[in-house]
Amino acid sequence: MATLPPSPFDRDRRNRRTMVTMSIVGLAMLGVGFASVPLYRIFCQTTGFNGTTQRAAAGVQVKEASGHLLSIRFDSNVQPGMPWQFHPETPTQTVTVGAKSMAIFIAKNMSDRPVTGSAAFNVSPSQAGAYFTKIQCFCFTQQTLQPGQEVRMPVLYYVDPKILDDPDNKDTQEITLSYTFYPVEQDRKAS
Amino acid sequence: MTTITADHHGASDHGAHDHHDADHKPAFFQRWFMSTNHKDIGTLYLIFAIIAGIIGGAISGLMRAELAEPGIQYLQAWAQMSDGPSATIDQAYHLWNVLITAHGLIMVFFMVMPAIIGGFGNWFVPIMIGAPDMAFPRMNNISFWLLIPAFALLLGSTFVPGGTGNGAGTGWTVYAPLSTSGSAGPAVDMAILSLHIAGAGSILGAINFITTILNMRAPGMTLHKMPLFVWSVLVTAFLLLLALPVLAAAITMLLTDRNFGTTFYDAAGGGDPELYQHLFWFFGHPEVYIMILPGFGIISQIVSTFSRKPVFGYLGMAYAMVAIGVVGFVVWAHHMFTTGMSVNVKMYFTAATMVIAVPTGIKIFSWIATIWGGSISFKTPMVWALGFIFLFTVGGVTGVVLANGGVDDVLHDTYYVVAHFHYVLSLGAVFSLFAGFYYWFPKMSGRMYSEFLGQLHFWVFFVGVNMLFFPMHFLGLSGMPRRYPDYPEAFAYWNKVATHGYEIMAVGVLIFLVNVFWSLLAGKKAEGNPWGEGATTLEWTLTSPPPFHQFETLPVIEDAAHH
Amino acid sequence: MMKVKSLVLAGLLAFAPAMALSSPALAQDNAAAAAAPALATPVDADPRSSDPGAPADSADANVANASAAPAVAPPRMKPTPGIGMPMPGEITLQKQFTDTGETARWLHDKMLLPLITIISLFVLLLMIYVMIRYRRSANPVPSKTAHNTFIEVIWTVVPVLILLAIAVPSIGLLADQYKPAPKDALTVKVTGYQWYWGYEYPDNGIPEYVSNMLPRDKAEANGEPYLLAPDNRLVLPVGRPIKLIITGADVIHSFAVPSLWVKMDAVPGRLNEKSFTIKAPGVYYGQCSELCGARHGFMPIAIEALPAEQFDQWLLSQGGKVGGAAEAKTAAAPVAGSEKI
Repeated sequence: MATLPPSPFDRDRRNRRTMVTMSIVGLAMLGVGFASVPLYRIFCQTTGFNGTTQRAAAGVQVKEASGHLLSIRFDSNVQPGMPWQFHPETPTQTVTVGAKSMAIFIAKNMSDRPVTGSAAFNVSPSQAGAYFTKIQCFCFTQQTLQPGQEVRMPVLYYVDPKILDDPDNKDTQEITLSYTFYPVEQDRKAS
Repeated sequence: MTTITADHHGASDHGAHDHHDADHKPAFFQRWFMSTNHKDIGTLYLIFAIIAGIIGGAISGLMRAELAEPGIQYLQAWAQMSDGPSATIDQAYHLWNVLITAHGLIMVFFMVMPAIIGGFGNWFVPIMIGAPDMAFPRMNNISFWLLIPAFALLLGSTFVPGGTGNGAGTGWTVYAPLSTSGSAGPAVDMAILSLHIAGAGSILGAINFITTILNMRAPGMTLHKMPLFVWSVLVTAFLLLLALPVLAAAITMLLTDRNFGTTFYDAAGGGDPELYQHLFWFFGHPEVYIMILPGFGIISQIVSTFSRKPVFGYLGMAYAMVAIGVVGFVVWAHHMFTTGMSVNVKMYFTAATMVIAVPTGIKIFSWIATIWGGSISFKTPMVWALGFIFLFTVGGVTGVVLANGGVDDVLHDTYYVVAHFHYVLSLGAVFSLFAGFYYWFPKMSGRMYSEFLGQLHFWVFFVGVNMLFFPMHFLGLSGMPRRYPDYPEAFAYWNKVATHGYEIMAVGVLIFLVNVFWSLLAGKKAEGNPWGEGATTLEWTLTSPPPFHQFETLPVIEDAAHH
Repeated sequence: MMKVKSLVLAGLLAFAPAMALSSPALAQDNAAAAAAPALATPVDADPRSSDPGAPADSADANVANASAAPAVAPPRMKPTPGIGMPMPGEITLQKQFTDTGETARWLHDKMLLPLITIISLFVLLLMIYVMIRYRRSANPVPSKTAHNTFIEVIWTVVPVLILLAIAVPSIGLLADQYKPAPKDALTVKVTGYQWYWGYEYPDNGIPEYVSNMLPRDKAEANGEPYLLAPDNRLVLPVGRPIKLIITGADVIHSFAVPSLWVKMDAVPGRLNEKSFTIKAPGVYYGQCSELCGARHGFMPIAIEALPAEQFDQWLLSQGGKVGGAAEAKTAAAPVAGSEKI
């Protein structure tokens, strides 16, 4: 690309064109930055990256892989300062891969005022997330507990038998499902 | 390849004879506050960078003083100055985090970037490609003046509440949720806005450089004849243009998380704090190349000049920088090896990161090959350049160690990392800055610097920074974490050594400042080309300092015809 | 809706620390603490030490409060200088006590370190040579060589080969580190708080207890290094695989123990796993390794690795039960495993 001696007018036009092009590139990257939020979510959901679980409809049919057992561990957290107790009924279950199972989490409001919470979750090890499928759960739905009220919250899930064909999961012995409850109305900003 | 020679009809003669037109300077206020002249703006950037560098360097002095011995010696007294006489020990610890944050942000955004891109880039890119000025002189002025409010916001943030105490104590990485729910008060908001403004200025600057380099080259100055410094600024400008908007988006979402109840990075609302880290390092890794690539360019010019040889493997050098820039965008998560990523992701980032060593190796060996067979004069810029090549190698090889995800498990966030990035930045980018400063000082000021003080500055600084940063490898290997105001007795020895290293380095900086002032006042007049036949780029065809407006008749670049 | 049989874990106890932070729950917290005789050494005797505002004020690790415990806890182990902690003037990695740690240390000491030293010295020697050989007085007329395809190919290909040589053991090490824990692993939950650590043994019925830094006088009285020694240690068995599940409560922390080659971020809203097997009894110190606010430098970690029998004794002394993981699973299996919807 040899550079011809341009007239000043020509050069100004070319400069403006380059500037507009580069500004579009910059704005596009700004867009990419913001678009990364939904893209990252979709990426996590499709690949199970970061331990994102899968969802399935209630009527889903899966084939059990009999004889293949996996341990499922249940973990629970409450954001510090939230006056709830929250724990799984059992710390672990051993399930057949592909079989639908249910776990119960118990939450109790220990304070003397109604408190609303909402739970987030994830699965570890992260490469197992793509195969951990929930049919029903209480994540991200708001729960209001009256003072002293205790609720039992079920999670209906199965482990997709495809996990047995995944070389990354060939040594996976146990999958941990972790929930964290956060208060809803409270200002989350630290004081 | 080709050496670049200027057609003398167009360049130096013109500048010398046409004194009235070319050297007509506006009045003081117009010239310095509303400047549209790339050389004046470059000078402003350099002055700004030196001031910011002194502030950032003084902050590291406070840090090294506190770290000289185990225990908290000074922090509490300083906290009483910043948070009032009733400052608690927690506020003193918070002040520590403010210091490390400020040191990082100032050195990256207000010292290295303004100096190397704004300063030398502005001064010499137009001249080296035979252009009369930047493509958009007024935008150039805006780019610089955006830095001032940005810097003021950052400095101002240290006086307003930022959580436990005054100031933003989040580290330069501003990780959520420490920077969102973990830091109440306006300090972090101010620091984030400061980054926004500085980033906006840099993006404008990047667009300006790209346009200038693509469109404003003199006749005959093809891309493959451009000096390597220009190549390096071109690659850097693209990195800025592609990386900074992503940072802008990431920190904008931090602001909305902090102030408007969004949950982009908050697991409570379905967000993910790791997303911030991905976005930050998608910017942050190219950022380290933004700081070092122009340095590569400067070193190439200097090594060639003082060896009196054309750069060895010019095309390889140019495209190695392009390769480093491209690969720099796909290795970011090696900053996140301990966040719990899956094994395949970690393997990919380990392998991709190690790939960077190849183009970097090409550059190191090409510089040595440039010197090989040359006729070396050990003037100050050359001495700094030689120091750069070796110390950058040392910083580079520890990068290969850190690239191994499995090894990083123990080295991550320790002083080994601090040593590594100070070797490539403080001893890499900063050495290239000093090299470039001495190289171009005669051209910019019209006066020679003191060769004796320059050499002395180099040796004192060289000893100081090595004593300062080399022991940090040992501290890191034996497990000392970063960002700690206090440490167990076991780490006392090397910390003491490092603090003494800082003292020596500080003396070096004083010598530098003395040299600058002495040379400006009493240095002997510099010729157009003080470096002799090795200096072949266009700036040496002009007078020193160059006329206020150069190349009003464009120079024609001839092929030096030896391939 | 079907019933799932309740298991051993006294759920109340497991959540004591979360409650300790909220005043309405304090009564239950104390009740829980009283119900669980989890208070012998090395676990701190005072439940109020979970108050983050008062780090380690109540720690007195030398006094055993075994009165309520069904078993006496093993005495608090003395650290050995140079084991599990940095040494004065040290210039290399700490001695390792896990398999991955030994592999990684080998990779660093026997491969990476020699390699980078050789490369740096090679570059240095080349530079010294050219600086002497081609100084202006020795070589007044420079050559004009600016190309040599052969040498350029060499210095591209040789680094590639070196990197490949590094990549093979490095990738192997990574695969090693990610090997999931076997079924009989002991699971411990680690939670990072501003600014202390919480440890819970979900399968052994030991609720979360917290670990605050010891003040200087107490640490020194104990013969432990100040800034590394917490009041309550994380007690783990030797020779048995351990799976830590790590999370953060407020901001990101990082659970790091250099002598076990462990560093894993504790991220709020997310669970990370780290598996390893400790090879020898000892006290292994570590420090938080992700900037987490004002007292980031003051939330140390100590792992006390006990031989199997002593570890079981410790579990019992805390009111826990031995071999929890296996039991829990057997109990759960017939229930959960057979559920069909």
